Parts: sequence; C-alpha cells; structure tokens
Amino acid sequence: MKRIYLYELKRLLWNKFFIGLLLVTLFYGGQVLQNETLLGVADTAPFSPWSFGAYLGRMLPLLWVGALFFLTFFTGAAQKRVAALTDATPAPPRRYDLARLAAAATGAALLSLAAVAEALFFYARMFAWYGWGALLPAALLALVPALALALGGGWLLGRARPWLLWLWAALPFVLMVLPLPQALSMLNGSFFSAYPASLDALDPAFALPGGVLAAQILLLATGAAAAVLGAGRRDVRV
Amino acid sequence: MHIEIQNLEMTYPNGKRALDGVSLSLRSPSLVGLLGPNGAGKSTLMKLLVAALLPTKGAVFVNGSPMPGAERALKAQLGYLPQDFGLFDELTATQFLSYMAALKGLKDSRAAVQEAIAAVGLEEKARARIRTLSGGQRQRVGIAQALLGDAPFLILDEPTVGLDPEERIRFRNLFSRVARDRLVLLSTHIIDDVQSVCDHLIVLHQGKVRFMGTPSELIRSAQGHVGTFLAKNAAQEKGLRVTARINTAEGVLCRVVAKALPDFVRPETPALEDAYLYLISGEAMA
Amino acid sequence: MRAARLFSLEARRLLRGRLSLLALLLTALSPLAGLTFYRPIDPVTTLDGCLANPSLAGGLAGGVLFGLLAIHECDRARRARVETLVDAAVSPLVYALVRLLALLAFAALALGLTMLAWLPWTAWTAGGVFDLQTYLLMYLVFMGLALPLCVLLGGAAYQFTRRQDLSIVLFAALCALSLTVWAEEWQLCFLNPCVWAVSDDFTNFRILRSVAYVRLTWLLGLAGVWGVSWLCVRRYGKGALGSLLRAARRVYRPAVALCLLAACGWAYAAQPFVDHSNPDLTAMTFYEIPFMEGVTCLSRTADVRPDVNAGTVWGRATYEFANASGREQTVALAINPGYEVTSVKANGADVPFHIGDYQESNWALLQATLPADAQIELEIVYGGFPQEWNVSETMQGSDEISSRYICLEHASLAPYILNAEAEGGVLPATIEVTLPTGMTAIPFGTAEAEVVSENGDGTATWRYEDEGPGGILYAGDYVCADVEAAGLTVRFYYGRKHQGIMEEAGAADAIRAVAEYCAAHYGAPSFVPDGTLKLIESRVSGGGYATAGASLADEQDFTAANLSDAAKGGMAGEVMIHELVHQWWGLGCMFDVADPSGAWSAEGLTVYTCYRIVKELYGEAYAQEHYVEMWRAAVEGYARNFYVRNPEYLAALPEEEQLAIANSLSQIRQYSEMPLKILKAEELVGGEAAMDAILSGLFNRELDPMYPYLTYADFLAACGLTEEDLSLETDLSL
Repeated sequence: MKRIYLYELKRLLWNKFFIGLLLVTLFYGGQVLQNETLLGVADTAPFSPWSFGAYLGRMLPLLWVGALFFLTFFTGAAQKRVAALTDATPAPPRRYDLARLAAAATGAALLSLAAVAEALFFYARMFAWYGWGALLPAALLALVPALALALGGGWLLGRARPWLLWLWAALPFVLMVLPLPQALSMLNGSFFSAYPASLDALDPAFALPGGVLAAQILLLATGAAAAVLGAGRRDVRV
Repeated sequence: MHIEIQNLEMTYPNGKRALDGVSLSLRSPSLVGLLGPNGAGKSTLMKLLVAALLPTKGAVFVNGSPMPGAERALKAQLGYLPQDFGLFDELTATQFLSYMAALKGLKDSRAAVQEAIAAVGLEEKARARIRTLSGGQRQRVGIAQALLGDAPFLILDEPTVGLDPEERIRFRNLFSRVARDRLVLLSTHIIDDVQSVCDHLIVLHQGKVRFMGTPSELIRSAQGHVGTFLAKNAAQEKGLRVTARINTAEGVLCRVVAKALPDFVRPETPALEDAYLYLISGEAMA
Repeated sequence: MRAARLFSLEARRLLRGRLSLLALLLTALSPLAGLTFYRPIDPVTTLDGCLANPSLAGGLAGGVLFGLLAIHECDRARRARVETLVDAAVSPLVYALVRLLALLAFAALALGLTMLAWLPWTAWTAGGVFDLQTYLLMYLVFMGLALPLCVLLGGAAYQFTRRQDLSIVLFAALCALSLTVWAEEWQLCFLNPCVWAVSDDFTNFRILRSVAYVRLTWLLGLAGVWGVSWLCVRRYGKGALGSLLRAARRVYRPAVALCLLAACGWAYAAQPFVDHSNPDLTAMTFYEIPFMEGVTCLSRTADVRPDVNAGTVWGRATYEFANASGREQTVALAINPGYEVTSVKANGADVPFHIGDYQESNWALLQATLPADAQIELEIVYGGFPQEWNVSETMQGSDEISSRYICLEHASLAPYILNAEAEGGVLPATIEVTLPTGMTAIPFGTAEAEVVSENGDGTATWRYEDEGPGGILYAGDYVCADVEAAGLTVRFYYGRKHQGIMEEAGAADAIRAVAEYCAAHYGAPSFVPDGTLKLIESRVSGGGYATAGASLADEQDFTAANLSDAAKGGMAGEVMIHELVHQWWGLGCMFDVADPSGAWSAEGLTVYTCYRIVKELYGEAYAQEHYVEMWRAAVEGYARNFYVRNPEYLAALPEEEQLAIANSLSQIRQYSEMPLKILKAEELVGGEAAMDAILSGLFNRELDPMYPYLTYADFLAACGLTEEDLSLETDLSL
C-alpha cells in the first residue's frame, strides 16, 4: 500500500488545488499574524504558546476545510468512476481506504506545517525569537485532534453521502460563533485566550486542564474510530 | 477457471428487473461473446460477476465456491474493463497502471506494467499525463489495466468503443490470443468482433438468456429466414424486419429477416448479424 | 436577442432549481440571525435591534449563500458533463455573462422578497422611530449590495480555477478574513461593514453613504476581477492564460476589466469619508506653528451653508487682521481634510494659498500669504464633504449632515486660525448658518443663535455671536425643555422623534439629580455664565464632550431601553452624567494636557465623581461592579499587558504597529488608573466626606492666572499624600 499512498499523495499535492490552498492559507495566516497575533492573547507574548495556539485556532477552520477538500478527491464523481476499476481489484478495501486517508492526513499536515512555519518566520522577523520547541505542545494539541476529527468524520460522512462533507466543512465556522464549554473550546480557539486569562499568573506556562486534555483525546479517538469505521465501506450496493 | 451462474435474478430498487432467471456455465479457455440490445442486462450481469452488485436471487460460483464469500479469490484472478470508467487524470499512464498493479498485489509490477503498455501499443504515451490522452488512448489505458498480471478471467465491456477500425482489429486479435488459456467474457455491440473471435455466444434480451452456443449454431438457427428483394413500394416491406437497404442501379435492395419469407424475397445465406437480429426480432414478433 | 432569450432561460431555470430556491428562501429568512445569534451591533437604539442587525445579518448570510450558489451554478455544466454540448450551442463567454446576469437578477429578487417580508414586522417593532426611507436604504445597502459582491466573487473564483472545491476555499477564506482580521478595517470588511450603531432620533445618511461607498468600491474591484476571470473562461482547449490571451484580442474586453480595477483602486485610495491623520495621537505639530509676528486677529465671520441633500458644506469665512510688521506673513489655518478651498482673497485681491498633505487630529493645514498692509480682510471660500478623523474610522457617522441633523465641529465649520493672536486675547466671531426651516441651530457653548432671515426657499439663516478661533454647531429637529436644578437652568435639547419617550421616562429628573449632586458637593460651575447650561442630545457618537456652558450627551443614553432599565434605577445613561460632570472637572476646574500619555487629566476626577453619583443613585453594589471593579480590571490588564511589561519588544516593532498598540493602551491610565488612585486617596484621607471637602477646596481654590490648571501635585498636596502612597502595586495583583 506504500505505492498507493505515494501515488495518492502525488495526486493530492501535485496540482493547482493544493498550491491555491497553500497560497490562501499563507495569505490568511499573514493577516491573522499581523492583525491579531501581534497583540498577544491574555497578556502573554505574541510568541507564547497561548498566542500561537490562538493563531492556530484562527487558522483551524481553513485547515479543516482544506483537509476535507483532500477527501473530496476520494468521494467525488471522478473518483466514483475510477472506483469501477479499483473496486474490481483484490486489494483489501480497508487497507486501501486507510492508505488514501493517510495521504489526505499528510496533505492536511503539510498545510498545517505551512501555517506553523509562517508563524515561526513571523516570530523570527518581528521579535528575533527562535524558541520553537516551546510551541510544539500547543501545535500538536490544537491541530492533531481537530484535524483527526475532521478527516475521520469527513471520511465516514463522505463515504455515506458526498454532500455531507460540505456540511461537515461548515462545522468550524458554526463553532466560531457558538459559546462552547471549556472542554471543547480548543475547537474554536477560544481556549487559548480564555484559559490563560483565567489563571492568576503572569505569562502562565502552557498547561491544559484535565477536561480539555480528555476532550482532545476523545476527539482524536473519535476521529480515529470514524476513520476506521468509514474505511472499507463500499459504495452503496443494491 | 470455472464460473457457474444459477438462476440469477436482479431487481433494482426502482423495481426494474434487469436479470430474470439467468443460468450460465463458463469455463476457460474460452472467449465468450455477450450480445444483447441496450437494456438487456449485460452490464448488470457483468457487475454481478465482479461483485459490484449483489443479486436479488440466485447464486454465482467461482471455481465451485459461492459468492460473495469467494469475492477475494475472484478478484485475485480478474481483469475488468467496465463500459464506463474513469482514470486519474493527474497521473501518467504508467503511473496509473503501476497504481492498479499495486492494488492487484502484483509482485513484479514494473514488468507487468511494461507488458500491458506494450500489449495495447501505448509506449509513446506511457509518460504522458492521462489528462492529455485522446478518447481512444484512454480506452487503451483501460484495456491495459485489465490485462495487468495475466488475469485468468477477463471481463471486457465494450472494449473497442472509441477505437479506430485498425485498432479494433488489433485488439480483437489480442483478445483472441489471450483467450487461448483464459476465460474472456466480451460484451459488445459490434457483431464483427464477436463473429471473428468468439467461440461461444450468449444473447441476453429483456433480462433472459435467449441463446447460448457457438456462433455457427446461432447462424444455423436463422437459415431460411434471411433474404433480399428489390423494393418497389413501401407496402412490400410490411411484416418484414429490414436489416439493411442498399442502393443499386435497379432500385433499393432490402435485406430482411422473417419467420416465413414471402415469395418476392430471395433467400440468402445468413450472417451472424442476421441471425442475431432474427433472434431478437423473432422475440418481438412472437 | 439571443442573449435575452438565454437570460430568460437561465432565470427561469434558477426560479425552478431546488437549490436556488432554497438559497432564496434562506436569504429571506436570514435577518432572523440578526435577531438571535449574529448581532454585529450591540443593540442600544431601537433601530439597531430591529433594522440594522437583521439587515446586516441578511447581507452576511445572503452573501455567503449567493456566493456558494454562484460557484454551484458555474460548475453545473462541468458537473453534469454537458460542457461540450453547451459550448457547442453557445459561446462560453456569452453563457458566462448571461449566467452572471441571471444570478444578479435572482439576487435582486431575493432582496425584494426579503424587504417585503420583513417590512410589517420592522414597522411594528420600531414603532414611532420607523420610517420607510431608512428601512429601504438599510436593506438595500447593508444587505442588498452584499449579494452581487458575493456572486461576482464566487463566479470569479470559479472562472479562474475551474474547480468547485478551490473556488469554495477562496470564497470562504475571503469571507473569513472579512469577518475576522479585516473586521476593524472599514474599507476591507466587505461582508460585514463597520456599522457600530444607527440612530433612531436623527438620520443615518453618513454611515449609509460610507457603507455604500465601500460596497461600491468592492463592486468595482470584483467586477474587474470577474472581468479578468471572464477572459480566462476556457476556450479552444486552452488553459487560463491561453484563453485570456485569445479573449483579450478584442481590446475593449481587457480594457473594461482594467478600467474597473483601476476605478476600484482609485475609489479605495481616494475615499472621501475618513482623513489620513497622523496615527500618533500625541502629535501636536499644528499647535507648534509659531505665531505671526506683529499680526493680530481682530475678528472673524463665517457664512456656512450646508447642503443637506449632498451632505456637503459650502462656506465663506472672513478674518480681520492688523499687521504691524509691515511685511508679508503666512497665516496658518486648520481646515477639515475633506474640504477644498476655492479662493483666498486679502483685501479683495487673490493671494497664494496651499493646503498641505500632512494631516493631524482631523485637520489639514491651509497656509495663505497675508500682504504687508496694516489692515487686512482675508476671505476664504471653502467647501466639500467633511472627513471624519481616522481614529474613529470604524465608528463613522458623526459628521452627519441631513435635513434632520447637522454637526459641524471646529475646522469643519470654518477654517481655524492657528498662528495669530487675538486682540485682547478674545477673538469675536459672528457665524451665520443657512438651514432648512424646521431645524434649530444650537451653538455648542454659551452663544445663542437666532433667525435673522427667512429666505423663502425653505431655508432660514441663523446668526450667533461667539468667541474664539473655532466652535461647534449642532442643528436639528430639536425640542427644548428647561430643567431647573441647584440654581442652574439646564436647557435640554433632544430630538423631536424622542419627545414621548423623554417625557415618559422623566429624563429631566435625572439631569436635575446630577446637577444638584455636583453643585452641593463642589459648588456652582464657574463656566456656566448666567446660570444656563445647554445639554444637547447628539446623534449616536459613542460618547460626549463638554465645553463652557454646554454638554453633549449621546442619543444612546436616552433610548427607550436605557431609560426604562430598572437596574439603573430608571436613570438616564452614564455618559450623560460624565459629560455633565465635566462642567465641574475640566471646565470649572481646568487641567493641563502637557503629557497626554500621563494618568492625570480631567478624566480622573470626572470618572471618580460619576462613580460617586452612581453610587448615590443606584447603590454601592452597582457602583462597585460597574466602576471600581472595571477600573481595577482595566488597570490590572494594563499592567499585565505584554508590551507594557516588555517595552523592548514594543520598540522593536515597526512604527505603525507600535503606535496602534500604544494608542490602545494610553486611555486606560486616565480613565481607570487615576480614578482608582483617587479612590485610594479617599480611603487614606478618611473617607468620602473628607475627600469631598478636599475636592471642594481644590475646585474653589484661588487660581493663578498664569497657570490656572489643577495639577497632580496640587491634588496630592491637598490630600497630604505622596505619589508612593497612591501606588497601586500593593493593592492590585500587578
């Protein structure tokens, strides 16, 4: 399946969609960094894990949509027509699906990395700050569970009905305006500004309350479970 | 390779009955032509054979093992070219075939891909993006992926659509060659293809098998039911199924099939096409 | 004819399509969002809640829906794989154009239906403040113009990329930018315009014009972008560039697109609404211009004629100078950056003049040459569309000029002399203003205006005598009520539309309570001549200000909701209290503004006094929660701010970023830190009674005519405290 993964990756990344998405992401990221992240959140430095997390929270809807658009490569009408050939092969459907999902996850990861790299470049240029290692936990916690949920849920829904992917893509935009409980507030990025502000300390070290951590693990698990559940499902047969 | 189909029925959710009590037995080596008018149930039968559909009733056995349990075993020995299929436009022909080879689990995929490309004569376009290929070239990529890995069972649905006459003859010969040691099921509208290469024929009509046998058996069944006449007026054509009209110096020469030929019709030796039309129209007349 | 038939075909198809009808239905319902979860304006006025928010929400939701519909429609032929067939029947370029027109017509239909559907409810809810013109304009500008914008954007994205998914990403990213990082950039937020409040009692033409301008700028730009994308519509098997080069062979096509883009760029750069003042709020360049030697200004007059239909001003200002220097001099005057000067004459002869590019505090510098004559009459003819100060670019609307409301401040009223001393220190001014009959002219200060002529053309000319180089004029459809309190007469001017609510809520009682409190605690305000104080209800402006003999209170303080808020004890808004208190602190007792970034200013004692009044009126708990706790939070926030704690990082930023951050922090010191220090002083001196006595002493102290200002040192000395005593570090978790 390694070859399948590599070919799928090539299909996802070597086209104008990915380049367009990348450019849009970088432009959006630049605007967020310049206008919002520069001020810092909860009185922390713009390069604190909190401000960085808030930046990623702002980027998340776009990354989420990007990840789901990678999935449309596997659920769209063109893919359905190719499935007439691929479904007739002896490849185990579950493994085949997981290889393709891995390619979509890689695409989403590359897009996220671009957003992260842009922030690191911004920090270096504006503040000559290079303590990148400190941002890793925030990046992992902000992006991995959410994108896993996006991909897993999207895969499950998209295999059932391709148009459900569009509804799923709208979710982070809806979450932006909803008052989420703290445990889920990483999903709309509000956690990174609200939680450090609630701590009675200056420049609090990056830490997560148990509830938030549990919710992130749950989201990750849900995403993984949905991916496994969705993998191997064949298109509707009579 | 032995495919046994017993009393197969397929009814779609919209109520359309596509197959009705179809029973067949296919053994390799053989090149079986599947004929039938549009909507006869050919594509449904093929989809059932590649496990893309589940039958409403009846059973399919692959080398004695019932489907769908034998699906994996079937697909491991299957090369399939559907009538309507897509390709990954972003990849080159070689990459796409390599992709399919990986899905088929071929050991020496590089050699298999090169062999398939050579078989369909696509060497010049092997490194071209599929997006840039013509309709005929895309069809050849489709045939190549079906030939990958010398599958013992080939199902080809209208494989020569979009190919020019020269290519069609070349592929006809190719199918004939590969069928020497394999089972090939060839669905087509082009009677010439069937006549020249198929050793067995199955005619489907309205979901039922109307004929199963060799081409010469089908031709024999039309003996005495095919003839020609020079048409003077339209009234003469009543009750006759005209299969061809040829303009000649004396008038329009009509070729007809009929249960009983009238006196003014001169009997002719039937061709496969006549026999096929006689079979189908005979049903209609009945 | 062929195109017309195609258009009718496309339009009918849209009218029958399930998705397009769903988009239409959802668009018509979308104002509901403005009543529930998407309320861009914190609704204070009645129209904020029942008209502005629903129409803004309709613009956002309808825009997004129509943008997506446009992408979906563009992709239809490709999706159904009938592109080849369609392209064979009709030119792809013609088809794209027809499809766009059909979508635009469909959007117009959606807007019309929405307006029709919401009209009865809005009229019923708004009650007395409803008027049909405002309703139609707000729906048209706030909602309607968003739909074609998004149709063009969606269509252009598709025509460039030819991919539905990428088009949606592009569209979503631009919408998200507008909603988030561009939300405070008034020219960029095309989807959610910067509308922060709308007026019930007066008109809203200025903000409507501003939003319409932004939307039309974007329309030009997106029409240009769409035009370029239209040229990229794929033909003859070519890619985007090849198709563009082919389509551009008819030169008028790219020329039209480029003209639209250029017009957009020009409209963006030359917007007439907001000036380009130096973002450094502490800059005072114009005040540093040296005075002309030997030149004094004897008097000035102005004849001001606002055009209430166009929202512009025409004026002729004259200045009498005595020039003892015997040589030419350059006079410097500040004028509104939106104005043009058409002529400057000295003693009847044209003199050279120049308006500089540098702007500061909503002023541009007009310089003219005065001749060497001993007596000079300088006449300046000026006019134009007044620009608002860029510090409040997201809160536009204050320079409203309409037949129901006018506000002209200082250099917007007439050029303001910067470098000439007035003879005897007092510059007499005579101002004439021509207004539609039915409007009342109210000079903001002690002057009283009176009608000097009815012009017979529906206008009347008002005249008033004033003093000083500048001045503020309000005019509107006002009602005046006199409120007697503590020996003062408060002349309370408020909008006629609001008369019922004002009388019902007893606004006069609230004004009386404030005046009586301050008079009892500090004495009569010395800057209220003949005991009369004007209190003017302004159009929504987000605050107020005060001058000798006049205070301004925001319309928001007097809304029906605010006046009947039981939690506030049925009391009018606190901004009004604040501005009334400025008659004591700030005018009765003056403060130097030498250090604008410092904490000590008139605001400290004013805010503290407001707190005391509110405490008396609404109780201690309310005052503690809404004043002390908020000061504390603001000061703690200030001290915790990363850039305050790490100024080296602030210094490392580019200048523009530095200024933006510094400006956002500076007011906290005056409005929160100082009141908190005064509260601490109150505790240290022995409580409220002791502090009242100290403040009364400071208010009534003997003034040094050379430096009549109350300083922080004076305050500390009167309290017997030092700066360290009032340090907040130990009190707050800093």
